[in-house]
Amino acid sequence: MKKLVVIGAGMASGRVLEHLFESAPDAYEVTLFNAENRGNYNRIMLSPVLSGEKSYEEIVTHDEAWYAANKVTCRFGEHVVGIDRARKVVIGQNGEVPFDKLLIATGSAPFIIPVQGKDLPGVVSYRDLDDTEAMIEAAGTRDAKAVVIGGGLLGLEAAAGLRLRGMDVTVLHLMGHLMERQLDEAAGYLLKRDLEKRGIRVITRASTAAILGEERVEGVLLEDSTGLKADLVVMAVGIRPEARLATDAGLETGRAIVVDAQMVTSDPDILAVGECVEFDGNLFGLVAPLYDQAKVAAATLLGEPSAFVMRETATKLKVTGCDLFSAGDFAEKDGREDIVYRDPGRGIYKRLVLEGEKLVGAVMYGDTADGGWFHGLIKDQTDISEMRETLIFGPAYQGGAALDPMAAVAALPADAEICGCNGVCKGRIVEAIEGGAHSLDDVRAVTKASGSCGTCTGLVEQVLAVTLGDAFELPTAKPVCGCTDLTHEDVRRLIKAQELKSQPAVWQELGWKTPNGCHVCRPAVNFYLLADWPLEYQDDPQSRFVNERNHANIQKDGTYSVMPRMWGGMTNPEELIAIAEAAKKYGATVKVTGGQRIDLLGVKKEDLPAIWADLNGAGMVSGHAYSKGLRTVKTCVGSDWCRFGTQDSTGLGIKLEKRLWGSWTPHKVKLAVSGCPRNCAEATCKDVGVVCVDSGYQVGVGGAAGMDVKETERLVDVATEEEAIEWTVAFVQLYRENAKYLDRPYKWIAKVGLDWVKEVLSDPAERAALVGRFDISQSVYQKDPWAERARPEAARRFLPLADLTLEAAE
Amino acid sequence: MSWIDIGALDDVPLRGARLVKTRLGCVAVFRTGEAEVFAASNACPHKGGPLSEGIVHGRKVTCPLHNWVFDLETGEAQGADDGRIDTYKVRVEDGRVLLDGALLMKGAA
Amino acid sequence: MDQAVGADVRPFIQVSEVWVPEGDRLVLAGGCYGGLDAFEASSRHESFAKGEGLPGKAWDEARPVVLKGFEGSYFKRTEAASAAGLTSAVAIPVFAGAKLKAVLVVLCGDDANRTGAIEVWQEKDGLLMLDDGYYGAAKHFEWVSQHTHFPRGQGLPGGVWASETPMLMRDLGSGYRFIRSESAGRAGLTTGLGLPVPAPLKGTYVLTLLSARGTPIARRFEIWDARDAKVGKENEAVLIDGICARDGKLWDEDNTRRVAAWQGVIGRVLGTGVPVVESGSPGLTAGYDSVVAFPIHRGGELAHVVAWYI
Repeated sequence: MKKLVVIGAGMASGRVLEHLFESAPDAYEVTLFNAENRGNYNRIMLSPVLSGEKSYEEIVTHDEAWYAANKVTCRFGEHVVGIDRARKVVIGQNGEVPFDKLLIATGSAPFIIPVQGKDLPGVVSYRDLDDTEAMIEAAGTRDAKAVVIGGGLLGLEAAAGLRLRGMDVTVLHLMGHLMERQLDEAAGYLLKRDLEKRGIRVITRASTAAILGEERVEGVLLEDSTGLKADLVVMAVGIRPEARLATDAGLETGRAIVVDAQMVTSDPDILAVGECVEFDGNLFGLVAPLYDQAKVAAATLLGEPSAFVMRETATKLKVTGCDLFSAGDFAEKDGREDIVYRDPGRGIYKRLVLEGEKLVGAVMYGDTADGGWFHGLIKDQTDISEMRETLIFGPAYQGGAALDPMAAVAALPADAEICGCNGVCKGRIVEAIEGGAHSLDDVRAVTKASGSCGTCTGLVEQVLAVTLGDAFELPTAKPVCGCTDLTHEDVRRLIKAQELKSQPAVWQELGWKTPNGCHVCRPAVNFYLLADWPLEYQDDPQSRFVNERNHANIQKDGTYSVMPRMWGGMTNPEELIAIAEAAKKYGATVKVTGGQRIDLLGVKKEDLPAIWADLNGAGMVSGHAYSKGLRTVKTCVGSDWCRFGTQDSTGLGIKLEKRLWGSWTPHKVKLAVSGCPRNCAEATCKDVGVVCVDSGYQVGVGGAAGMDVKETERLVDVATEEEAIEWTVAFVQLYRENAKYLDRPYKWIAKVGLDWVKEVLSDPAERAALVGRFDISQSVYQKDPWAERARPEAARRFLPLADLTLEAAE
Repeated sequence: MSWIDIGALDDVPLRGARLVKTRLGCVAVFRTGEAEVFAASNACPHKGGPLSEGIVHGRKVTCPLHNWVFDLETGEAQGADDGRIDTYKVRVEDGRVLLDGALLMKGAA
Repeated sequence: MDQAVGADVRPFIQVSEVWVPEGDRLVLAGGCYGGLDAFEASSRHESFAKGEGLPGKAWDEARPVVLKGFEGSYFKRTEAASAAGLTSAVAIPVFAGAKLKAVLVVLCGDDANRTGAIEVWQEKDGLLMLDDGYYGAAKHFEWVSQHTHFPRGQGLPGGVWASETPMLMRDLGSGYRFIRSESAGRAGLTTGLGLPVPAPLKGTYVLTLLSARGTPIARRFEIWDARDAKVGKENEAVLIDGICARDGKLWDEDNTRRVAAWQGVIGRVLGTGVPVVESGSPGLTAGYDSVVAFPIHRGGELAHVVAWYI
């Protein structure tokens, strides 16, 4: 009998032995080395063992009896120290074993990120039963905390298992969304939501700076200085093939042991299978191709013809109750088309990627019933042109049902607040409808929903339609854009009611029809999110128009204009000298604006950071002449100089500007303060205009002097400057929280009614709350965007990525 | 085909773009997904708007000047607008963005 | 794994019965009485209005109800139960949406000698607290459980709550650190089945059955997934987890077992949406005397079937 030595008892080599003994039980006398002191078990089922949902006995694939029956000499717990190819022996710690054929199946080793503290006790990787047992042991302490580094398959399974075991678990993931190699952003969002529902905390874009601790691990420090307590740190960032034995033996290796389609290495008597091999430039981590390799290797050992072929593999996550499926490729090539299906009510997301007439990729979350079928279409490269229209509905589906445009409202829980003014929940409205209120007016009369500012009217109508079915005819409202059937007002209200705090959350929960919106909806949604959740949501520059992204106004020739802030229109010689020098240095045209500022036109994009740095140097900040935000506060000279002035209008203007600058609003906001009713600052055609009188301050709102010309309407008369500021700030915040994106205040007031605005603002508690929320937002957004972008690492982004005109072309 | 390494993928913001100067004029490199990039002429055929400053959505970009929308895979203007931009071969490898070297060759010839 | 199913098994649950609505009353649809013929006979003559007796209470309150000690309670069959040595009962209503499909009642007795746990957990202030439970002789474990609560995702109850699916846990208390493990180990509890109990009125409930080796609730457990999201439009179910004292593991990643509606005991639950209790029939998995197959509805549709055999 010929001698076969196998190094490594893993999933792949176990399968090789099974095939071998099945087809030719007497072909080889087998010696099996395993560094772990046990035989073959199903490693991919370690996660349920960790969670307690399976026992180790259940995942053992070969027990002692099996090895005995097949006369396998087991050398478990013994490391192989070398392979002597000339003498054809494997050198184990306890002695040599000769071979006719050798099978290397050494698998992979976990990748350990090289940070300080990585060797502390309590830092574990997650590859084998010993790791699993160490983690179970760690979970035994009351209130123990775990940090899992890596939000891929392995890391998330570890996190879910540790959570079930009772630990407080945080997952750190370097990328923007979980499992980014298998999932797109939308599915990654749903997975994150699912895990958070299990009490697992997920931090994305988290870069580990160090693992802290004296005797053993005590915590993890992130690059952004966040500190996390930890009694256990699980490293699950990836694996690297274990090819050392092969390298030392002089076999051909690249990133791993190089094999041909017969699984033979560069030595014809040595085969290799599993995670330690490289075939055609590919490495392997999932189990399906490993089983294919095992079949081929067994055939090769028996001298039968066979060849390994790469196949598309599908991914499943073993976390009970998380249904996700991903197969094929959904990025990185021209000529592709997406089909997206979302069902917010049932938490379902499906995306198919087509290339020509073929399906090349599929991602599914929440409904994976058709995963196998899609996987088959991908593997077989089936022509799907005939079923393109209904493809996403799966094999059972015939004839395309239209997506329900009211799915988002139908999915709302009963306690979701529909009317923010009167605090009316969906459940109350449904009750009223079921109680006989079958029209909008009836619902208003019974519940007061949509009876105040009226912006939730569309949603109340949808609740009527959902509850009454065909009995209620839904008036057609203008949706935001082609990506959704909801109006701006609906989207704003639903972001608040459902506490949606990220773009992927909005796309999924409101059933967006495109993967990530378009140039119409995305800037609006970005604003709504940052206005409602200033602390939780992070502003997305890529959802802004060019001027707001580059913090300068683009001109028709592609150059930019730059306008520094002059508080209340006041300046001084030093500022003027700096402006003059900057204008000279960067060749800018100088213009005095209608808002009492100085504009520098014709600046090149790559010069922007430098001119900003120069102006910053003279103490000036961005004038936000480009933003949907506070622009300018125009003033007259007021009681300081003017013989008619009644109050310090300049001082109030400066105070207002210093309070309001940097805030984002639905559209631009311009203010003015005039010192007397002669109104030299033209305050009565501004968004907010204050006119000083002997008795105090008249605050007017909703003026316009653009395509429409409109005089302000009086909001309130107040006696003190403090009150004038409080009312102005509260008004701006009310506008920020309620108006449709790109509605100036006068348009918004026309929709909600000045009476409603007055009613809300006349309540001192409401006013104070609005001011409080404005100040919270300012704690995030009131900072000079120029200074941030003039720093060298940020300024780099204003240069071309590469300049190939300078490269020598050979 | 010769590929030219023009920079790190992470230097192109997700759903954003960066400019590359070439002898044939400016090329915009768009990043539409975590590891998905497209390259096309930077100039909008309508009024020459810089497409690298546009909003990137799906596999499309909207010109910042007058909202023309272009499919980055074909270069075709979408909807009612008529026109197209040149597209160029580009790919991502090990976190680097590689642009088709033919662009340079043509410029040199 | 290869041990035979013991002939002298003393089951923790002695009686299982299914009550279904007929008009405005609950009538007996089937049961397994383990030889307690007199109690069976008295049950056959019984029916319950909404709010009447234990099954009627579970219907009326739309939540699982634990009753320990029948004397002087609202329990209607006290005399017959007492004669049969039964001392405690748990009633679990099965709702599909707002519609009552059935009430499963299990009865236990012989408190001093049998160990196990049937627990009802209820959400209060963001945590699962023990609403009530029957533990037989496992008094210490009962005390520990009364003083334990589960956040989302933690332990068997918290896991079921967060994932909204039934779960099967192995080796409670032996080697693995189940949250109440130490005490569970001393009580001899080995296997735990947890399932969500939908309550149409309000509240979140999780039912757990913890089985001990000597006086098991079951020797075989199965969890079947019947959601459209898993099996498609066909009225079928796949076996996603299971463990058997005789056959070992019942799950197989590569060859999943599938049943269609009306096919066998599980198929009958799929077809009717009502629990099935069966004993001594030839269709039963070999080696077992009786089975309880129990449906779990979600969003008004049948989502899972769990089954326990003894």
